Amino acid sequence: MKSNHEKEEYIEVWEDVVHIKDLVLSLIICSVTTMGAYLLAPDDATKSLVFGLIGTVIGFIICSIIIKPKRTFEYVDEEE
Amino acid sequence: MDVTLIVQMIIAAVLGTAIYTIIGIAPGTDETAVLAPVTLVLVLAGLEPIIILTFFIAAIVAKKLTDSIPVAVAGIPGGVMAAPMVEHAMVLKKYGLPDVSIRKMASGSVIGTIVAVPVSLLLASLLAPFGEGIAEYAGPIFFGGAIFLAIMSKNRWLALATILPFAILIQGLRHLYWGIGIIPEDKTVFTSFFLGITIGPIILKLFELLNRDIREKLPRHSKKEIKVKKQSQVKGFPNPFKILDKKEVKTASIASFTGVLTFFMSPVGITIFLGEVFTKHIKDPVKRASRAISSMDGLTNATYISGTLIPLIAIGLPLSPTAIGPAIALFQAPPVLTEEHNLHHLLSMNEFVFATVIGAVIAIGLTYYITVKYSQQICAFVFKYIPHEALLGVFFGLVLMLAYRDAGWLNIAGVLLIGLVAGTLHRWGVNYGVQFMVLYAAPWMLGLFV
Repeated sequence: MKSNHEKEEYIEVWEDVVHIKDLVLSLIICSVTTMGAYLLAPDDATKSLVFGLIGTVIGFIICSIIIKPKRTFEYVDEEE
Repeated sequence: MDVTLIVQMIIAAVLGTAIYTIIGIAPGTDETAVLAPVTLVLVLAGLEPIIILTFFIAAIVAKKLTDSIPVAVAGIPGGVMAAPMVEHAMVLKKYGLPDVSIRKMASGSVIGTIVAVPVSLLLASLLAPFGEGIAEYAGPIFFGGAIFLAIMSKNRWLALATILPFAILIQGLRHLYWGIGIIPEDKTVFTSFFLGITIGPIILKLFELLNRDIREKLPRHSKKEIKVKKQSQVKGFPNPFKILDKKEVKTASIASFTGVLTFFMSPVGITIFLGEVFTKHIKDPVKRASRAISSMDGLTNATYISGTLIPLIAIGLPLSPTAIGPAIALFQAPPVLTEEHNLHHLLSMNEFVFATVIGAVIAIGLTYYITVKYSQQICAFVFKYIPHEALLGVFFGLVLMLAYRDAGWLNIAGVLLIGLVAGTLHRWGVNYGVQFMVLYAAPWMLGLFV
């Protein structure tokens, strides 16, 4: 899903560029893991919140692995 | 006070610092959502009130220090209160200086804490005799705040004109939920509406993506190139008074002091307003941005601390946006704490001072060091490995969960609706501050028409 990204294919959402398909994928993954964990948690207000947060973290990790950041990063030396 | 208690307080402060240093870095963690539940658990578990206060102060100081990191590297607020800084942090990011913005923000935060703790304690003791009088006027105070911020904003007539309609939207949803019985009449939906306003601009954008015409017209970009200037490692223990220049220290201190005085106003609104006032005259974009973020970070930290301490010490009612949000469990956590029996009644002035100082000192000592020393490494890691999509996904997931938690499935649509309206208003130039004030003032405003 990353190889077919051509140049100039990203749109800007909240100050950074994203690919629409990856964004949709990420929204779905995080929603499913978060809500899934929340709803599966034992019936206790605090536990369900903790489960939900863990679900969010899991979703975040999955997305970070399967989606590549749309940035190139390099250090430049100070030239002055 | 015996040694065991002091040791327990120190442990609580270290734990609060450790947990919220990590949570603070995680982007999009709403302060209320991450602080209130944990504090609530500690209260219900029956810990000593003074230990809970120490934990809470350490937690907010640590969280405020680290929530600047995602702002600097990704332009995503690490918390609601970091939202106003995004614009200025983006300027520094554009110039390849995201690590500078982290250091400046963290240093501003430290100044905010140093100023806010003594001034808040002082102001609280001055206000204490009038506590009961103030408590009666919470509604009109928030309403006045909304009007004030609207008049101060760029699009004042638009902002003023949207106050009542927006209040109707908020109260309308609440009454709908009560009316169809999905939440009991003594419960008011708050957190998720708050979040809906916060992520309004994103919700609006996501909805727009569903429209083919708009989607196809959106400007397309190639990969974002980020170049970071390699900076020499800060040696020894970082000193905020060296990282900031003299003018920045001065502005940050004045801003923090003002933040304490305006503890009852929406911190985000005040931050936006004062941030503008203090930096309008600076021409150089980099200087302007670094002055703005350091003073804004000091200011948010100060309003946070004062917003917790002053109502707690002087009034005993959650009469500030911070108190009614993240710190709510210190005021009300039935059956342990109630309006007639909470930290206001349980702790003496000395105990307040002691808990605050221990919490703040430990949090600054640990978190400031990590943030400043390793900001560049943190930046590099986030840029290389964390996709922006994942951050947006996390934010979206959290909003879904908290919306559901507040009032069930229907509220997810309710929060989307609030997000759509708030996002549109935001794009038109009605800032967060006005919107938050309206959220707080809505019940009182509509009560006027009964």
